Amino acid sequence: MTILELQGVHKDFKGLTVLNDINLAIEEGECHAIIGPNGAGKSTLFNVISGKYKPTQGTVRFNGEDITGLAPHKISRKGLARSFQITNVFPGMTVYGNIRNAILSRRGIRLSMLVRLKNIDAVHQEAIELINVLGLDAIKDVPASELSYGQQRALEVGIALATDPKLILLDEPTAGMTREQSREAVSLIKNITKGKTLMVVEHDMDVVFSMADRITVLSYGVVLASGRPDDIRRDEAVKKAYLGKKRHARGQ
Amino acid sequence: MSFSFDIYVIQAIHGVVYGMLLFLVASGLTLVFGMMGVLNLAHAGFYMLGAYFAYSVAAWSGNFWLSLLVAPLGAAIGGMFVERFLLRKVHAYGHAYELLLTFGVFLVIGEVVKWFWGNSPVPVSVPWSLTGSMTILGATYPYYRLFILGCGIVVLLVMAAIITKTRIGIIVRAAVSDAEMVGALGTNVTLVFLGVFAIGSAFAGLAGAIAGPFLGTNPAMGFDILMDAFVVIVIGGFGSILGALVASLMIGVLQSFGILILPKFALVFQFVLMALVLIVRPTGLFGDKE
Amino acid sequence: MKVGGLRTAGICLCLVGIGILPYLIPITQVNMVIEIAFFSLYAMSFNMLFGYGGMLSFGHSAYFGIGAYTVALLCKYFAGLPLLLILLLGGVAGAVGGLLAGFFCVRLKGAYFALLTMAFNQFFFAIALKWRSLTGGDDGLSIKRPDLCLPGLGSIPMNNAINVYYLVIAIVVLCILVQWYLTSTPFGNSALAIKENDERADFIGYDIFSVRLTLFTICSFFAGIAGSLFTLFQGIVSTSSIDTAMSMQVVFMTFIGGVGSFLGPILGAGVYLYFTDWVSRITDRWEFILGVLFILLVMYLRTGLVGLISNEKIISMFRLGRDISK
Repeated sequence: MTILELQGVHKDFKGLTVLNDINLAIEEGECHAIIGPNGAGKSTLFNVISGKYKPTQGTVRFNGEDITGLAPHKISRKGLARSFQITNVFPGMTVYGNIRNAILSRRGIRLSMLVRLKNIDAVHQEAIELINVLGLDAIKDVPASELSYGQQRALEVGIALATDPKLILLDEPTAGMTREQSREAVSLIKNITKGKTLMVVEHDMDVVFSMADRITVLSYGVVLASGRPDDIRRDEAVKKAYLGKKRHARGQ
Repeated sequence: MSFSFDIYVIQAIHGVVYGMLLFLVASGLTLVFGMMGVLNLAHAGFYMLGAYFAYSVAAWSGNFWLSLLVAPLGAAIGGMFVERFLLRKVHAYGHAYELLLTFGVFLVIGEVVKWFWGNSPVPVSVPWSLTGSMTILGATYPYYRLFILGCGIVVLLVMAAIITKTRIGIIVRAAVSDAEMVGALGTNVTLVFLGVFAIGSAFAGLAGAIAGPFLGTNPAMGFDILMDAFVVIVIGGFGSILGALVASLMIGVLQSFGILILPKFALVFQFVLMALVLIVRPTGLFGDKE
Repeated sequence: MKVGGLRTAGICLCLVGIGILPYLIPITQVNMVIEIAFFSLYAMSFNMLFGYGGMLSFGHSAYFGIGAYTVALLCKYFAGLPLLLILLLGGVAGAVGGLLAGFFCVRLKGAYFALLTMAFNQFFFAIALKWRSLTGGDDGLSIKRPDLCLPGLGSIPMNNAINVYYLVIAIVVLCILVQWYLTSTPFGNSALAIKENDERADFIGYDIFSVRLTLFTICSFFAGIAGSLFTLFQGIVSTSSIDTAMSMQVVFMTFIGGVGSFLGPILGAGVYLYFTDWVSRITDRWEFILGVLFILLVMYLRTGLVGLISNEKIISMFRLGRDISK
């Protein structure tokens, strides 16, 4: 079943076309990677899907429902979550607090003034469980601003996940990580996103080929190719777009 | 309600005159805000200081033109002092504290003015050479107001020339767009900030000096112009000089006619306009979206 | 926990102290304490807005003043209403004003927000000044304080400083308890999350506008209550309750005490009132001194007086609500 569908999506910024006639269909349960050279429009794509930007043209459908131009919080509540390329956590709050924010939101407990927060056991349990799964239990009471980079990235993904989304967009989850860290991150992500649909923007080809069921290549705002990893590897247009740039893919 | 044509013209010119004055103040404000993210409330204080400096210099020397020179200079020095020694320290604490600081400076300037010049308005008169009026379309219009208009246009042209034609202008425009990047490219951004602050304050001081004979020099003038300047940069868009110009003229003319047609609601007009802009296009007419 | 026990003891001691205070000190000081009480509530409402919501308002006196005027008008035209209801309605009126202004202001951040609140402040001030037939213009309105009728206790006259003292303290303490409770609810957490990172909060499902507007309205309610108590105490209301100076005062008080500390504003209100009382006796230039001190505070002591107290035990006694680390 197609969980996310983009039809004819354009995005212009003051005369500059960043996304040009994007058509995409993401299948439920798959891990779909978006790759492409810098400036291809990958982050903009995520921003359009998640509601930060309204497309100049075209529609975005999530679970059959038209979500084009909806506000981010409304889209999130429908089960579409995203993480950010530049870590975007709640700096003054602890790891626990960060995760709990997302869980409270998922449960719709945002404006309640009748109960005391610490008395809501169910929320507390869920937060602790997720923190354990993320491997952050040792630092759960540390303010997010004091975490190491790798820990912050884990938290970054964790917050998105804590909203229990059906579709999760990960924007360069392994940005700035070493080989070893990336490997661990990938393993963690695979583990915690079982049963969910994943869209990942990535530059690291090792990560892409180890995770993706399908890959879409974006270049200058246009879809160059879309399909299974092996097909993409062999695609001429893709090779041309990457020509001259360092190739990270193995077996080339 | 029937007004003769010349009343409309007079009010329109009056509006444009006040609009020009507003522009002198708002332009510095919007530049600093666009560049440094700081809404410098003290700016209105320098406007007021300029007016009072001008009064004292004119009273002491008898020379109006001298006061027009000293006032912006004094305001610029004040501006540099505030930026270098006060604002810079607070920059690391975030925008809220920068705002609070400039607020504090504005208050202190207000108190200083009351201390040295008293609570009542000071008598500032139009200089000899500019008294009198001329007839436009059957109605008389004071020379001094035309002088203000002239000043405003000259300043505008100079500013436009600097900003679009010179290297400094390009740097300033770039810094409004992305200060961090400009710094990364090797320009001494700190110096640029200081410079813009100083020049903005100088313009505000000049505006105050010119405004004195026209609006009256009193301890409340800073606050009055602050509110109007704020409306201007909301409507015009932060960081946009063009926006400040258009909005200033708009507000000037609107107020001018508003007072004529619905005197009780003059204040409300601005409000409604500002509220509308904030709802429909929060970044202002010429500001950056997103 | 040891500190917890000390804390409860401290609170009880304070409450007992407050209870017997009017009989220990001269009446002028009782009046001073009453002022500190409702100004504390005013400052705490501002502190919640800034400390929890990250919204710096330069026009908070609008809602204080609306509350103040509402009480005066109700006393004048609806004198038969119960006093407690009148005071409550003052808060409600403040909340309505806050809802109206907040609808526009809350969409903005930082400097824009601050100045738009200032603009609304001016707007309400202009109404208070110009609508002479309703508000008395700059002459203001004076009231005859209604009696407080409590079941079982009968009619308690309010022209007695000690009676006013107990009523004001009771209401202020109640409001503080409600505010404290709010900070420990999910709503309080939402406000904090949005303050910490509004973009991320948006993307995980928080409706920033709704939360901010709700907080703004609640804080305006408490400001309105403070204004109500102001009118009750003064017996008269004028444009001084809704002007820029009144908005500035609350900023000073909160900062002196310490933003981000739940009870800090109480300390701030106390210090501010005593200090300005003393300084204004010494020199005419006290506002200048206050301005300079404020600048120094912002530059060198932004955590306020509470920040000065480095003793952990004392600090945790002030941390009744959920404090913000910054």
